[in-house]
Amino acid sequence: MSVSVAGARSSLRRHRTWLDPRPAVLAAVLLAPASLLLALIVIYPVGRLVWTSFLQLNLTSGVPAQFAGIGNYVSVVQDPVFWQTLKNTAIIAVVTVPGALVVGMTLALVANLPFRRRWPVRLALLVPWALPLAFTGLIFAWFFNSQYGVVDDLLRRAGLPQPIWFNSVVLAMAAICITTIWKTSSFVALILFAGLQAIPPELYEAADVDGAGRIRQFVFITLPMLRPAIVVAMIFRTITALQTFDIPFTMTRGGPGDATRTLAMYVYQNTVDFLDLGYGSTLAVIMFLISMMVSVVYLRQIRTQA
Amino acid sequence: MPLRLSLICLLMLLAVPARADTVLKLFVSGQVSQPVIRKALDRFEAGNPGLRVQIEVGGATSDVQAQYLNTVLSASDSTLDAFLLDIIRPAQFATAKWLVPLNSSIGDPGKFMQQYLPEYAKADTVKGDVVALPAFADAMFLYYRKDLLDKYHMKPPTTWDELASEAKTILAGEHDPSLQGVNFQGKAIEGAVCTFLLPYWSMGQSLEQGGHLTFDQPAAIKALAMWADLVKQGVAPKNVAEIATDDTRKDFQAGKAIFAVLWSYGWADFQGADSAVRGKVAVAVLPSVSGGKPASCLGGWQWGASAFSKHRDEAVKLVKFLSTPAISKLLAVDASLLPVFPTLYEDPEVLKADPWFAQALPVVQTARSRPAVPIYNQVSEIIRSTVNAVLAGTKTPESGATEMGARLRRVLR
Repeated sequence: MSVSVAGARSSLRRHRTWLDPRPAVLAAVLLAPASLLLALIVIYPVGRLVWTSFLQLNLTSGVPAQFAGIGNYVSVVQDPVFWQTLKNTAIIAVVTVPGALVVGMTLALVANLPFRRRWPVRLALLVPWALPLAFTGLIFAWFFNSQYGVVDDLLRRAGLPQPIWFNSVVLAMAAICITTIWKTSSFVALILFAGLQAIPPELYEAADVDGAGRIRQFVFITLPMLRPAIVVAMIFRTITALQTFDIPFTMTRGGPGDATRTLAMYVYQNTVDFLDLGYGSTLAVIMFLISMMVSVVYLRQIRTQA
Repeated sequence: MPLRLSLICLLMLLAVPARADTVLKLFVSGQVSQPVIRKALDRFEAGNPGLRVQIEVGGATSDVQAQYLNTVLSASDSTLDAFLLDIIRPAQFATAKWLVPLNSSIGDPGKFMQQYLPEYAKADTVKGDVVALPAFADAMFLYYRKDLLDKYHMKPPTTWDELASEAKTILAGEHDPSLQGVNFQGKAIEGAVCTFLLPYWSMGQSLEQGGHLTFDQPAAIKALAMWADLVKQGVAPKNVAEIATDDTRKDFQAGKAIFAVLWSYGWADFQGADSAVRGKVAVAVLPSVSGGKPASCLGGWQWGASAFSKHRDEAVKLVKFLSTPAISKLLAVDASLLPVFPTLYEDPEVLKADPWFAQALPVVQTARSRPAVPIYNQVSEIIRSTVNAVLAGTKTPESGATEMGARLRRVLR
């Protein structure tokens, strides 16, 4: 293609036809399919979502959709359950993002050790990542069950008190965070592991020569070299944490009360259970904006670094 | 030669679907026995040549089914032609215009609906339109261990206080740490709504009248406090906030509870071959609060035709067929599902298969319907999450009831 474009430029006097368009036109034509696809799968649905968020549209009300202006947004601000779910989502993000980073870093460093057989370690790294979120939630709901759960059994054997996890606001949230960290740290580990492998070994050799110990090497070589990988892992982890749905949905259904209901669960509840599409869309728009803001903060981080 | 052969083959392929049957898809909940439904459908197909019905199964609980149906129907999807609906759904489905109105297909609607148990006729009629027809009945019962009550010379309790004192005596006498006094649903599921309503109704209160909220806060506090006290006294299990409907069934079936509050489906399992309590179980009317009237929560299922079906007339025909005394009897005899026709409770064949149905009729007749409002799901969510929080001990009955009232006022005026 570039050859024909260059050819068109060189023969200035040639008459332009549809077979031989101007470069700008050619660019537009070539970009059209991708733009169209993007419009179809991103811009249209998001636009429709934003539009619906300004409508009073509830399928169980028996009345057709009406324009409500910012009415839904006012209701959201006044809705105590919205603030509760926002707080729960924030707690999950603040606990599980650093949690998964620490555990994932440890796993990546272990996997990076010179084992004779590396594949079992790497396979073990993949397993939690490959397990569907909803299954993870169901499995851990059994683990933490107060009657026949393995956690309960281990605590009894250790002579420790055995709480009813899902009866307590704090412990139910703790169970969800533990599960989320278990599930997501392997994804973080995979990204960091790839980053570790890209660090040139010469740096460590040079550090050895200079007499730097393991800890100094980690702080002054590994961490700075890994920074881009860490930021990428954090972006993905934070966005998925803000969208947390499957694990609390299968483990606690938001209970006790609303103590572990997340924003994503509240969106689902309003749209699918209550069929209040207007209000559900408003909540979804707010969730979308929060995710966008977080992504921008992280992306700035990468840019200032580069 | 090969050409002619392939032409013949092609013709044969084309010839087979020439007189294709109309295939209807019937959505049935996972807890209903498939072979029995199939039997009913075989009878329908035999009487209606050219029509075939396929069963589509989904979701073992009412909540999961509703989520599935809400997704399919809010997308105006025509895959399903008819479905089985929980009694709490017709009002919502009719308001969303997902059901085919049946008035024109059943002659005089008032007269037609008179043949059913009155609460079902009421639940299936939304603003004068019959929108679904009853499939089978259900209600909450008090199951109790007859052997244990006999051992301590006790009668089935008529009040919740009596139940607590009987349970305490038996628990003290049995010295079995795994034995529970009473098991009921405290998880934030639909069953928890009934858990709240049982004592609340028993005090003569109602939640809603004609779409308007009639919430009585003192009665709500008392209702929540009653359950919380049963947990505190050690009569109900400490983990009751984790217990869903089928957990109650499992615990009672394993012989781990003296009393259980459960729907009728438990009976068949309790008398099954692998039940630890086979022959040791009896059923009673649920107790009342002291000075109140006994109240039970009405369940039951309805057949409805989808407004998005491409074969609406055939779907209506199927719904009408499935809601006849003959099919109700089949469901009673083969699947132990409570009939929706009062006359069938005296039918010798039904009573031979399920002798306990004789005791069930008064319960089904006096059981009350949960609020039949289009926004029922919101109402349900508010009640169940409060019940769950109070039973888990994260809210007091007072703060739970206050919050419940405030949230109900936001959705129901």
